[in-house]
Amino acid sequence: MTVQNAAEALQRPAYKAALVDLLYQLADDELFLGHRDSEWLGLAPDIEEDVAFSSIAQDEVGHAAYFYQLLSELGEGDADDLAYGRAAAVRRNARLVERPNGDWAYTIVRHLVYDVFEDVRLEALASSSYAPLAHGAVKIRREERYHLLHMETWFTRLGQAGGEARERLENAVAAIWPEIGDLFSLGAHAAVLVAEGILPIGREELVARWEARMKPLFEAAGLAWPGTPQLPAQDGRLGQHSADLVALLDTMGEVYRLEPAARW
Amino acid sequence: MREGIYDVYEVFVQHNKTDHHVHVGSVLAPSPDLALHVARENFLRRDRAVSIWVVRREDIHATSYQDPDFFARETDKTYREVSGYTENGRLWRMFKQRMMNIEEVVEDMRGDDR
Amino acid sequence: MATSTLTLEEIREQILQDEQKAAFLARIERGEKIEATDWMPDEYRQLLIRLIHMHGISEVMGCYPEKEWVPKAPNLRRKLAIMAKVQDEVGHGQLLLRVAEDLAAPLNRTRDDLMADLFVSKVKFHNVFHMEARTWADAGLIGWLVDGAAICTQASLLDTSYAPYGRMLKRICAEESFHMQHGESICLALAQGTAKQRAMLQDALERWWEALMFFFGPPEMSEAAKKMLVYKIRTKTNEELRQKYLNRYVPRIQALGLKIPDPNLRYDETKQRWVYTEPDWDKFYRIVRDNQGPKSRERIELRRQAHEGNRWVREAMTRVRARMTG
Repeated sequence: MTVQNAAEALQRPAYKAALVDLLYQLADDELFLGHRDSEWLGLAPDIEEDVAFSSIAQDEVGHAAYFYQLLSELGEGDADDLAYGRAAAVRRNARLVERPNGDWAYTIVRHLVYDVFEDVRLEALASSSYAPLAHGAVKIRREERYHLLHMETWFTRLGQAGGEARERLENAVAAIWPEIGDLFSLGAHAAVLVAEGILPIGREELVARWEARMKPLFEAAGLAWPGTPQLPAQDGRLGQHSADLVALLDTMGEVYRLEPAARW
Repeated sequence: MREGIYDVYEVFVQHNKTDHHVHVGSVLAPSPDLALHVARENFLRRDRAVSIWVVRREDIHATSYQDPDFFARETDKTYREVSGYTENGRLWRMFKQRMMNIEEVVEDMRGDDR
Repeated sequence: MATSTLTLEEIREQILQDEQKAAFLARIERGEKIEATDWMPDEYRQLLIRLIHMHGISEVMGCYPEKEWVPKAPNLRRKLAIMAKVQDEVGHGQLLLRVAEDLAAPLNRTRDDLMADLFVSKVKFHNVFHMEARTWADAGLIGWLVDGAAICTQASLLDTSYAPYGRMLKRICAEESFHMQHGESICLALAQGTAKQRAMLQDALERWWEALMFFFGPPEMSEAAKKMLVYKIRTKTNEELRQKYLNRYVPRIQALGLKIPDPNLRYDETKQRWVYTEPDWDKFYRIVRDNQGPKSRERIELRRQAHEGNRWVREAMTRVRARMTG
């Protein structure tokens, strides 16, 4: 049973509440990853890669803008206010994307972990009962193809290179693995999301599909598989965030907060 | 192949299936696949394309600018060009017909019948 | 960087003393374009490398001032736009470094060498990129007036005698068209905005005016710069460019209600040129030659972080390639 548009969704309060929560997850995930990615400008390992990586960053922020727009259509407010004006305690992103960039190995591992997850999530969302989300998911997934190819290439090459690169990759995996549990969390409205087909698959299936794709990549990179991600101690999808997110929001909103309601 | 020094790849871009690949510049990259990845963003941020080729500079063979005679065409070649047949126009008019050109034939063949 | 007492004519005469150089100059004066594989006098190659190396490194260094405002852009559209704008600067650096690298290849110098020159002050970068970007208005102003000046220079270089440079500049100029719109859009929004926003823009202009007047370099050009004119690597003098820039931008700056902080700036009808308070050229040299600008060291350090700090990445990627091909 499909919900064709915002007007229809607004007539079903429980459906709408779950949908809105999921859209915040999607939007906040992409915004903060894109924001972190953009910090690599001028600092990437080579000039050509600097340019390529920035396009990936712009894609992420662009995807966030798309999801904030869907939220706006559901009556949540102005897209920029949703992006800039919400405090850490109401954010719905996974904690992984709010962390600082670390070195290039950390950035690549984080991006790969996220991009494979995002691909699994978007693939499932292509069958979402909320039509605008289903259409958007298909388009965004196509754009993410380049990201996936790119991160897979970097990950496997750095692993195969051995030496310092392999070591840094292993350190990155060790730092990241304890933190990825809440990627797969569906948040406070998990039951409704699955029951209503807004996000047709639950946590266990998300993890299983993600693992099936990640394991061969670890093998290709010559890295030991660290095991199934544990349930998170802290769940970003429930608004449980770190000081890193507070600092990020502080920076991101610095000019926005200067003059409320100003046109920039 | 010095350590830490990337190779030069020349980049060729095909915008549509009906066009040939066109040379647009070059990138430094550690391997052909990454050359393709970075070529996409270094050269196609604002253009659509259907294909990219990357070729290592060493694999390109070229004529030398120092040898312009390689391209010398000094004697009349109009026998194999349209410009060598302007007489036809005059002759067709004697038969009360107009001279045709290839462009109008192509347009006619590709267009709808009216 | 001593200015030269030789005139363009005298420099040209010197070149004509050498038979090979004279023939080469004749080609250029006939309007012929030079390619990377053409024979060229050593001094022509050296002048090109110097100019294009500096130009390429400047573009890369040029990403750092605006980069400071990428994380702080005040809405999603501006965030995307400034990311794209800064990306373009790095991209222009890529295009120009490739041209410089091809020229330097016969001298066995690679990108690594060209980049490392920055850390030992063997290559300079443009004065404007040594300066502070203190507010969001600075980011807008840079896009409007600094890029505006760069466009004047780059457009004048389109007719350069060195074809690979000219080809890259065509592409660069096309991308600069977005930069113009982006910078102007930010400044227009500020100029039409709240009192605080308008004050931010005025303050930015006051802090940037000196750097903008420095942009095109001193009216008395160095011997190298004069040689570049004779060899048609460049086609306009520093002052010619500055005059064109002032002509184009002063009315527009004033139209936004901004006050230019030079009481002597005006168009002199008799002299048919803009007159202004002479910039402090000694200060200019301290910034560019000695890296003594307010942000010089900090930004060179960022570039070093990127290049040296990530050396392990490039070494790993070439190690893998070596293994793949055996």
